[in-house]
Amino acid sequence: MGQAEWVTVPISTRDVEGPIFFSQEEWDTVEAATARIIPTDHHPGAREAKVVRFIDRMLAGTQFVFPAADGIGWLRMEGREEQAWQERIALRQSLYSSGVKELDDIAVDRFGQRFVGLEGDQQDAVLETISGRPKPTPFSFDAPDDDGLGGAPAGNQPVNEDFLDFFPLLVLNTRQGFYADPVYGGNENRIGWAVIGFDGPPTLKSTMDGSYTTKKYMLPDAEWPYERHPEVLRYRRP
Amino acid sequence: MQTKKNPAPVDVVIIGAGAGGATAAKVLTEAGLTVVGLERGPWLKPEHASGDELKYLNRNFIWQDPKLKPRTYRANDQEEAVITNFSATPQVVGGGTTHWGGMVPRMTASDFKLRSLHGDVPGASLVDWPITYDELEPYYTRVEWEFGTSGLAGANRWEGRRSRGYPTKPSPLSQIGRTFATGMDKLGHSSFPMPQGMVTEPYRGRKPFSENGFWQQYPDPGTGKSSTLISFIPDAINTGLYDLRSDCYVSEILVGTNGRATGVRYQDENGYEWVQEAKAVIVAGGGIETPRLLLMSKSAQFPDGLANSSGQVGKNATFHQYSFSVGLFDRDLRDPLYGWSGHYMSGCSFDFYETDESRGHILGSLIFPSMLGHPVNWSFPGRPTWGSAAKDADRELFNHSMKIGILLHDLPVESNRVDLDPTVTDAWGLPVARITHTPHSNDYAQERWQVQKNGEILQAAGASKVVPVNMERITGNTSHELGTTRMGNDPSTSVVDRWCRTHDVPNLYVFDASFFPTATGINPALTIMANTWRCADRILQVDRHTWS
Repeated sequence: MGQAEWVTVPISTRDVEGPIFFSQEEWDTVEAATARIIPTDHHPGAREAKVVRFIDRMLAGTQFVFPAADGIGWLRMEGREEQAWQERIALRQSLYSSGVKELDDIAVDRFGQRFVGLEGDQQDAVLETISGRPKPTPFSFDAPDDDGLGGAPAGNQPVNEDFLDFFPLLVLNTRQGFYADPVYGGNENRIGWAVIGFDGPPTLKSTMDGSYTTKKYMLPDAEWPYERHPEVLRYRRP
Repeated sequence: MQTKKNPAPVDVVIIGAGAGGATAAKVLTEAGLTVVGLERGPWLKPEHASGDELKYLNRNFIWQDPKLKPRTYRANDQEEAVITNFSATPQVVGGGTTHWGGMVPRMTASDFKLRSLHGDVPGASLVDWPITYDELEPYYTRVEWEFGTSGLAGANRWEGRRSRGYPTKPSPLSQIGRTFATGMDKLGHSSFPMPQGMVTEPYRGRKPFSENGFWQQYPDPGTGKSSTLISFIPDAINTGLYDLRSDCYVSEILVGTNGRATGVRYQDENGYEWVQEAKAVIVAGGGIETPRLLLMSKSAQFPDGLANSSGQVGKNATFHQYSFSVGLFDRDLRDPLYGWSGHYMSGCSFDFYETDESRGHILGSLIFPSMLGHPVNWSFPGRPTWGSAAKDADRELFNHSMKIGILLHDLPVESNRVDLDPTVTDAWGLPVARITHTPHSNDYAQERWQVQKNGEILQAAGASKVVPVNMERITGNTSHELGTTRMGNDPSTSVVDRWCRTHDVPNLYVFDASFFPTATGINPALTIMANTWRCADRILQVDRHTWS
């Protein structure tokens, strides 16, 4: 069956409280790592947004790849598309399994206990080791242009996750879990959006029926610079 | 494996149901021709669309899945091509008009005669178009009104003669549009509302766009965004003469012993293979898939691929690389920009469109402001990626950032091309498109100059920091695929004639952006549709009477 005919299955990423793919130990380790990637401060971070649940559901199988448009249930993938996603998910599963093990190996090697048991600074040191780079320093308007630590350039196209190693994949997935629609299992209560001031839709359905609008953030009464220009007036609409 | 009888022959088979294919289907069926449309992708409806960033941008719900439909890229013939998701473009009913931002400016009169204006540019294969602005003008107007557009006619003083205004008014200004206009004004430049493929007022049974903010790269759950999916395709279906078959993958255009196209071979979604016979064949698969299909359609008569006696199929490829400057604004000094409100772009300028050789290069593009992206994909070079520095940057700059982009008016270069990859195949076992491309030195000069200029505009508008994003190579990040079956009067140097009919096969046509002899510095969809209408009219008036 083609993509347009895929049926919606009435399941949710929140049907189960704990892990589906991860072991409890892996879940705890990934949760701790995401909490260093988007830490909790005077605002919630990855832990409160349940980013680990987002990652676990992403790895759980093809049932959680594409939500139904209105966010009620998930599309049951079929055919070649499902097969491609099975391969993609299998690759990510192995990256996470070996990556989590590596986090613990480095933690034990350097600090004598598993990653989850370390202090925040020690966890950061482990993440620096696995990333091969120093922890990013704060953004500043005055810093030289080459000071950045490599955010993906903004553009029309997202980063292709298929070619990422464990650490950049973990960082990207953490961001996705913090900012993607809550239907995917993260961004609990849309707290990721609240942190950055994105007044996003209360539900996916609200983006379909017109009830969600960003109109108040635009300038409906502002005139365009040329509105009264003779050349423009010449083309007055009938 | 095939046990069923092939479908009945029709007048015309059209490969692809995007901007070009759907326009042709509308014009031909409304004149009484029977048409079969074969679209490789699914027939998703507006009710499949919603404001889901992860689904549409990161998980390729309507773009091709690079695992199933990979492409390869190399800079030149000496390099080994590597697999990449070059030019992510929806392979669905509606094609690129489903995900697009809907920018519909017209070409300027000068765009049609760059060879006459600039002569022989070394390293480039610059030519004039064999048609003029005046020939296309009535069709621009027709598409603007039939398809549904918005704009402020007369505001673009570089535009050629216009026979009519826009059917609906421009969309409201965004904060980003106002910031752009302010910066331009401070520097003594002009800007005007971006002409858009949207309706902003009730129009022909359509409701104005929802202003849900999920615009660029998102299909529209309503009827505000103009796409062929909600306009020309239903028009064609309503005639009862358009049989549109989705999930049908054409692998070969068939040719008879008389050298005329007889139809196509395709596979349906269940893997069954069929032959659809027709009196004429129109290819509209996009500037990458169209030359790929022609090159795959080899026969004893056409050993180098169909319609390729000139050797020009796939060559002179241009891709409109999108580059920009990012402006970061200090939240202590500026009100938020809310870039995610309304639609993606608001306002544009043609001040840098026409050649000014004092800049050190020829040609130019329209420029336009936009947001940096919805939360997941919002970013800029140098953004801290993790830790409190990352969270701070997101928090402080998400609503205090914008960019001003350019659409590179790249020069055609004969060796920049699309051909068949010798080793990589897609999920159907067919050779994938290989892109070989190195930008012309003028492309780099134009791009660097304009990105720098865009940064100056951002500074004039109050940005505290400007970050240029320059191209290193072509990535296909605009989904604009142009020039690969160029239009011309001379059969030895071009693939299609002035009516987009192939020189070699008299009943085979190319109606997507492959025909563009030069790239232009604007978005191509309006021109694809207007030109398709012009050429389809020619089919109705002349060619159809020669079909047996």
